Amino acid sequence: MEHAAVQFIDLQYGNVLALLAIGFVGGLVSGFIGSGGAFVLTPAMMSMGVPGVVAVASNLCHKFPKALVGAYQRNKFGQVDVKLGLVMAASATAGVWIGADFQNQIKLDFGEAGSNLYVSLAFVVVLTIVGAFVLRDAIKIHRSGETDAQERVSRLAHWVQSVEIPGTMMYFKTANIRVSALFTLPLGFATGLLASTIAVGGFIGVPGMMYVLGASGLVASATELVIAFVMGFGGTIKYSLLGQVDIRLALILLAGSLFGIQLGAIGTTFVKPYLIKVVMAAIMLIVAVSRGLVVPVYLGQLGQMELAPQTAARLQSASFAFLVLALCTGSIIIIASMLRGYRAGAARLEEVSGK
Amino acid sequence: MEKPKPYLLLVASGFVSSALYLLLYLYEQEIMAAFTRTDGWFPALPVIAALVFSFAHGAFTGYFWEVLGIKALRKK
Repeated sequence: MEHAAVQFIDLQYGNVLALLAIGFVGGLVSGFIGSGGAFVLTPAMMSMGVPGVVAVASNLCHKFPKALVGAYQRNKFGQVDVKLGLVMAASATAGVWIGADFQNQIKLDFGEAGSNLYVSLAFVVVLTIVGAFVLRDAIKIHRSGETDAQERVSRLAHWVQSVEIPGTMMYFKTANIRVSALFTLPLGFATGLLASTIAVGGFIGVPGMMYVLGASGLVASATELVIAFVMGFGGTIKYSLLGQVDIRLALILLAGSLFGIQLGAIGTTFVKPYLIKVVMAAIMLIVAVSRGLVVPVYLGQLGQMELAPQTAARLQSASFAFLVLALCTGSIIIIASMLRGYRAGAARLEEVSGK
Repeated sequence: MEKPKPYLLLVASGFVSSALYLLLYLYEQEIMAAFTRTDGWFPALPVIAALVFSFAHGAFTGYFWEVLGIKALRKK
C-alpha cells in the first residue's frame, strides 16, 4: 500500500467548530457572489496548521459539491447560464491541472514554507488588483445613484462583443451575450490557474465575465458556480491521485457551507444587484491585507529575512484578525442587505395583495 | 393557500445526514487511511463521499430554510 508523504493534523473540537462556522460564512459568500468561500477557508485551515497544499486540496473537494448545490438553487431563479459556465469550465480545467502541477513542483523545490509563501503572494497580488477594480466600479454605481438600474456594459465588453471571428461565435442566452470563444478560452484558463493556486478562481472568473464579456453581476456570479463545480471536480481528482485530500476537513466544511450557500443564493433575490460587487470588493481587499501580513513570516522561514519569533507570532495573529474582519464584513453586508431587501419586497407584496 | 411545510422530509434528511457524519467520526482512522491511498480506485473515494454527503446534507439544509420560511422573492 502506498501512502503519500503528507502530514494531516489532529482534529480538535475547537477546530471542528471553527471549520463549521467559517464553512457557513464561506458558503454564504459563495452563494451570494458565486465564489470566494475559499479565500477565507484556505488561509483559515493553514492557520490551524494544515499544510498549504492539503488546505487547497481539501477546499477543492468541499467546493465542487457545494457549487453543485448552489448552481442548482440559483438556476431555479433563472440566473445561471449553463452553456457559458461549461464553455468557460472547459478551458478552466486545463488551467487547474497545469496550476496543480506547478503547485506540487514548488512544494518539492522549496518545501512547505515555499509553498505557503507562493499561495500567500498569489492571494495578495490578485486580490489587491481585482478587488480595487471591482470596488472602483461599485463606488461609481453608488455615486451615480443608479443602484436599481440594469448594469452598464463596460467599454471593453462592448468591443469584445463587436469582434466577429467566423466559426468561433457563440450565443449565451441567459447572459444575453454573443462573443467569440477565443475570448472565453484565456479567461477560463486564467480562472482555472488561479483556482488551483488559491482555490478561488472566481476572482478572475466573475469580474472577467462582467467586465470582459459583458454579463450582469447576477448572471456572472451564478454562472461561476458551474465553473466552480467543474474545476473543483477536476481539481479534487488531481489532488486525490496524489493522496493530498483531507476528507474530514472537506466534509466538515461542507456541513456548514451547505447551509450558507443556500441562504446566500436566496439572498441574491432580495438585494440590489450592485451589492454583489460591494461584497466582493470589500472581502477581497481585507483578505489581501491578511495574507500580506504573513508574507514576512514565510520569508523568515525560508531564511530570506531576519524576523524575531515574537514578531512572527504577532504578524500571524494580526493576519488572523483581518481574516475574521473580512468574514464579518462580508456576512454583515450580505445579511443586512438581505434583511432590508426582504422587508422592502414583503412590503411590495403586501401592497399588491392589498390592491 | 400556503404550501404545508416539509417537516417530515426535514427530519428524514436530517437523520440520514447525521448518520453519515456519525460514521465519519466513528471510523476516522480507517477512512483517513483509505482515502489518502493513491493506488487503484482509492482516489475516487473522496469524490464519491463528497457527492453522497452533499445530496443528503444539501437536501436537509434546503428543507431547513424552507421550514424557517426563508424563500426567494424574485423568480424567473
